[in-house]
Amino acid sequence: MSNESRSNLVLGIFFAVFALLLIFVWIPLDTDTGLIEKVRRQVTIGDALAPTVAGIFLLIGGLILIVFERKAADQPEIDPVNLGFMAVVFVLLAASFLVMRYGGPALVALVNLTRETPLEYRLLRDSAPWKFTGFFFGGTLMIGGLISLVEGRVTPRAVLIGVIAVLAMIAVYDLPFDDLLLPPNGDV
Amino acid sequence: MKRLIRLGIATLVAAATATGALAAEWTPPGPIKLLIAFRAGGGADTQARLIAEELENRLGWKFIPEQVTGKGGMNMAAALKDMPNDGTVIGMAVTETFGYNMAAAPKSGMTPADFTGLSTTAGFQMGVVALTSKGWKSFDDVVAAAKGGEELRFGAMSPRLADLAYLLGKAQGVEFNIVSVKGGKAVMDGVNAGDLDLGFMAGIQAKGVAAGDLVNLASALSTPLVQTPQAPTFADLGVEFDSDGQFVFVGPAEMPAEARDALAKAIADVVSDENTKAGGLIKNNFGGATVVTGDDLTVLMQNGYESAGKLLDAASE
Amino acid sequence: MGTLDYIWAGVLAVFLGPELFSIFGVPVPVTIVMIFAGFLLGIAVGATPGLAGPIAMAIALPILISIFGYTPDALLPVMGFLIGVMKGATIGGAVPAILFNTPGTPDAYMTTLDGYPMTRKGQAKKALRVAHLSSVSGDTFSDMVLFICAPFLALLVEGYLDLPEKTALLILSLSFIAAVIGGSPAKGLISTGLGLLFAYVATGEDFYPRLSLDSKVLAQGFPLATAILGVLIVGAVFKELTDLWREKRESGALVGTVKDSGDQRLHMAEIRRLMPHIGRSAVIGTAIGALPGIGSTLAATIGYTVGKARYQRTKSPEEPEFGKGAPEGIAATEAANSSVSGANLIPVLSLGIPGNAAAVFLILAADSIGGFNPGPSVFRFTADAVNTELVIAFGLFTAMVVANVLNWTIGGVFMRSMGVMTRIPKQVLLPTVLLLTLTAIYVQETRMDAIWFTLGFGLLGYAMRVVAISPLPFVIAFILGGKLEESARQAFASTGGDPWFLFTHPIAAVFMALSVGVILLTARNNRARAARAST
Repeated sequence: MSNESRSNLVLGIFFAVFALLLIFVWIPLDTDTGLIEKVRRQVTIGDALAPTVAGIFLLIGGLILIVFERKAADQPEIDPVNLGFMAVVFVLLAASFLVMRYGGPALVALVNLTRETPLEYRLLRDSAPWKFTGFFFGGTLMIGGLISLVEGRVTPRAVLIGVIAVLAMIAVYDLPFDDLLLPPNGDV
Repeated sequence: MKRLIRLGIATLVAAATATGALAAEWTPPGPIKLLIAFRAGGGADTQARLIAEELENRLGWKFIPEQVTGKGGMNMAAALKDMPNDGTVIGMAVTETFGYNMAAAPKSGMTPADFTGLSTTAGFQMGVVALTSKGWKSFDDVVAAAKGGEELRFGAMSPRLADLAYLLGKAQGVEFNIVSVKGGKAVMDGVNAGDLDLGFMAGIQAKGVAAGDLVNLASALSTPLVQTPQAPTFADLGVEFDSDGQFVFVGPAEMPAEARDALAKAIADVVSDENTKAGGLIKNNFGGATVVTGDDLTVLMQNGYESAGKLLDAASE
Repeated sequence: MGTLDYIWAGVLAVFLGPELFSIFGVPVPVTIVMIFAGFLLGIAVGATPGLAGPIAMAIALPILISIFGYTPDALLPVMGFLIGVMKGATIGGAVPAILFNTPGTPDAYMTTLDGYPMTRKGQAKKALRVAHLSSVSGDTFSDMVLFICAPFLALLVEGYLDLPEKTALLILSLSFIAAVIGGSPAKGLISTGLGLLFAYVATGEDFYPRLSLDSKVLAQGFPLATAILGVLIVGAVFKELTDLWREKRESGALVGTVKDSGDQRLHMAEIRRLMPHIGRSAVIGTAIGALPGIGSTLAATIGYTVGKARYQRTKSPEEPEFGKGAPEGIAATEAANSSVSGANLIPVLSLGIPGNAAAVFLILAADSIGGFNPGPSVFRFTADAVNTELVIAFGLFTAMVVANVLNWTIGGVFMRSMGVMTRIPKQVLLPTVLLLTLTAIYVQETRMDAIWFTLGFGLLGYAMRVVAISPLPFVIAFILGGKLEESARQAFASTGGDPWFLFTHPIAAVFMALSVGVILLTARNNRARAARAST
C-alpha cells in the first residue's frame, strides 16, 4: 500500500476503455434488437438496453477512478511473483480437468486394443468402474498437484490425500444418488 | 388438429391392447440422456422425471435427466440436434418450440425436420384468466372495461402468446398493454399480486378457478376449456389463431424406426396410465393425457412450424 | 372454524400426522422426523463450503416427492424437511466462513470479516457460539413476526408496490450496494457493472442469445451457481493458496493451524453486549425479508454496516474494530441474514412471491405436490367450510417452531462439532474444497463448460481481490440483474410505454432520489475521509 501506486489510474483507464468498446462495438454487433424496438404496435425495451446500462456503470466507475480517486491513499500494489504462481495454479487446474474429461475415453481406447468388439465410453458412463475413471485421475492430479505446488515438493502423502479425498467425494455424490452424474459423464 | 388427436388416441388404444413384448424388442445400447427444457423442480420437469422413473421401473432402461433451459426450448433443441440418434439421447419440450419459436428464429438454423417426434404427453388448458375479485364475469366485461378507458395489463409467457394477446385486442377493438413474463407461474404471480390484470395460464389456474379465486374468461384453444366450457374460444372472439400445444418428447433427426417406435410407445403407455405417478400428475393438471405419435406427430410439428409464419405476419401488421 | 381452531388444526396436523414408527408405544409422526432429518442435513450442507441449502433442497425435492407422492398428506413432511434444511443451513453457513474464510453463501461473506480474524486469534469456538446465538435469535424473532404479520403485512406492502416501484426498488438496492461496499463508490460501481454484464450474457427476450459471440458454449448464459461460487469461493481459495505459498516461500515453513486459546465460552456480560447488535440486525433482517425479491445478502450487508457505524461510536479503545475480529460484527451479520428467512415467507405464503432461493424451493414443493396454492386465498379464515390451505399454513408455522426448538437445543453442539475441520492443514483443505465446489457445480449443471466458467469466475474473483474491488456487489448485481431487466420491461410495457415510469410514480420517484442520494452522500463522505487522512 503506498501513494506511489498507480493501480487506480490503470484500472480506471482499463474499465473506461472497456466500457466504451462494450457500448459502441460489442453490444451493437452482438445483439439483435436495439435499445428499444417496436413490436405489435407497442414500443418495448430491446435486448441492448440492459447491457448498455451495465456498460454505463463500468464507464462511470472507471471515470470516477481516473478523475477523483487517482491519488487515493490505499491503492494496492500488484505483485508479479504472485501472479506467476497463480498462472501455474491455473495451468495445473486446466490440465487436471482435461484429464478428467478425456481420461475415461482414453482408457477405453486403450482397453479396446486388446478386445475384439470395441467398447464405447459414452455407453459405459453409467457403469462402475468406468464412470469413476476420469474423475478419479483428474481429481487426484488436481488435489495432489495443488498440495505439492504449495509445499514445494511432490510427496506420496500429497497423492494419497488426493486419492482419499476423491474417493470420499465419489462416496458422497455417487453412491446414495442414482441420478447424480460425476464429471465428465454428462458431457460424453 | 382434432382429427390428429383422435387418430393418435386410436393408435394408442390399439397399441396398448397389444402385448408389451413389442416394446421390449428394442433396448437402448446404453443409458438414455433426457434433456429437459424446463427449470428443475417445476411441474413440467417433474412430469419428465416421473415418466423417466416409471420407464426405468417398467423396462429396466436407465435414464439420466439433465436440464437445458432457456429461449423457449431452443437451447435444448440446439443441444439435442447434433446428438447421436440411436435412442440414447432424447429431449422434452413443448410443440411451440418446434413451431412458432423455430419459425420466429430463422437464424438458429433449426426446423422440425432436424428432429424426430416421439410422443406428446399432455395438452395445455390455455385460458385467459383474471382474479375473480376484478368482478369480470365474461370476456365482454374485459372489453367493456378497456373501452371505458381502463388500461389493462395482459401477461403472456411466450412471444407466440404475446402475438395472440395482441390479435385478441385487435379483434375486439381494444389495446392491451402486453407484458411479457418468464413462465406460466410468473403470470399467475403477477395476476395474484395485482401487477397484471389478466393473462394466459396453461393449466396452473385449475386449482385457483376451482377455489373461486380465479376465473377463466376465454379459452385460447381451438376447443373450449374442460374446466370452464362456457368460456368463449379465440375463434368465437374473432381471432383465427389459437394456442393449441402439447408437451412433446423428441429425438435427433432420422432415428431408426425401432428405437423411435419403442420409445414412443413406452412414453405413451406411461402417461396414459392414470395409476402411474406421471399419469396421475397429468390427470390432475391437464385433465388427462394427449398422445400423438409417429407420422401424425411429424405432421403436427411440421404444420405448427408452417402455420406460425401466418401468425407472425398477422401480428406484425 | 375460528382463528384458534385453525391454529390448533395446524399444530395437530404436524404432531398427529401419519406416524413413521413408534418408540415405547409413543407414535413418532413422520413430519417431525423429516424436520429433524432436514435440519441435520442442513447444518452439514451449510457447513460444507461449496454446498448450500438451496442445492440440498434442489437435490432432495425430487427424491422426497418420489417417496411421498402427490397427495396433500405429502405437503407437511416434504415442506417440513425443506424448512429443516433452510434452518440448518442458515446456522451451518457461518461455519466455513468463520473457520476457513470461505463463505458458503453470499450472505455469509460479511461473517468472514470478523469471524475469520477471531479464528486466527484462536477464538474459533467462541466465534461459532456468537454466530449460533445471533443466528438463532434472529431466526426466532423473524418467525414470530411472520406468524403475527403474515395475514396482514404482506398484502399491505404488496398493495403499495406496483411494477414501476419494484423496478425502482431494485435500482435502489443496487446503488446502495455499489456505494456502501466495495472500498470506494467507483470500485463498487465497477463491481456492480461487471455483475450486471455477466448476468446479461445470453439472456433477454430475443431468440438470439445476446453477447454470446455466436458461440454455443455461451448460448445458455452463465449459470447462477458458477458466477456466485466462482467469484466468492474459488476466488477466495485462489487468493488463500497464493498467500499460503507466499508465506511458505518467505518463512520457509507453513504456518500451522491456530490452536484454540483462551476462554471459548460466552458469558452473560458478553451476551448483554451482543444483544443490541442482535436485536437491531434482527429488525433490519426481518424488515428486508418482508419485502419480496430482496434477499439475505442485502440484509447482512445493511446489518453489518449499521452495526459498524453504531459500534465505532460506542466501543472502548482496547476492543477490536469491525473487520479485525469483533464478536459484534458476527452478531450483526448473522442476526440479520438469519432473520430474513422467516419474514421472507410473508410474501411467499400470502402472495406466492419468493424472496430468496430457499423460498423458491418451498413454492416449487407446494406447486409440484398440489393442494396448497400460495396466494391471497391461503389466509382466508372461512367459518363454514374448512380452508385446508390455512391449516397447512399453520402446519408450516408449527414446523418452523419445531425446527427452532431443535436449533436452540442441539443446533449449537452440532454446529461446533464441525469445528473439527480446523485441524486439517490448509494446503490440504483448500484443494479439497475446490474440487468439492466444482463437483457440486457439475452435479447441478452436468457440463464441463460450467466448470470452466467457474474457474474463469474464480480468476475474476482473485483479480478483484488483488486490486481491492469487493466481489459482493458483483454477486448481488448478478442475482438482481435478471429481475431488474424483467421488471423494467414489464413496468415499461404495463404503463403503455411511458419512458418516465420511474419518475411519474411517487414511491418510485422517492426510491430513485434515494438511489442517487446514497451514491452522492458516500462519495462526499469518502472524499472528506480521504482529506482527513491526508492531513
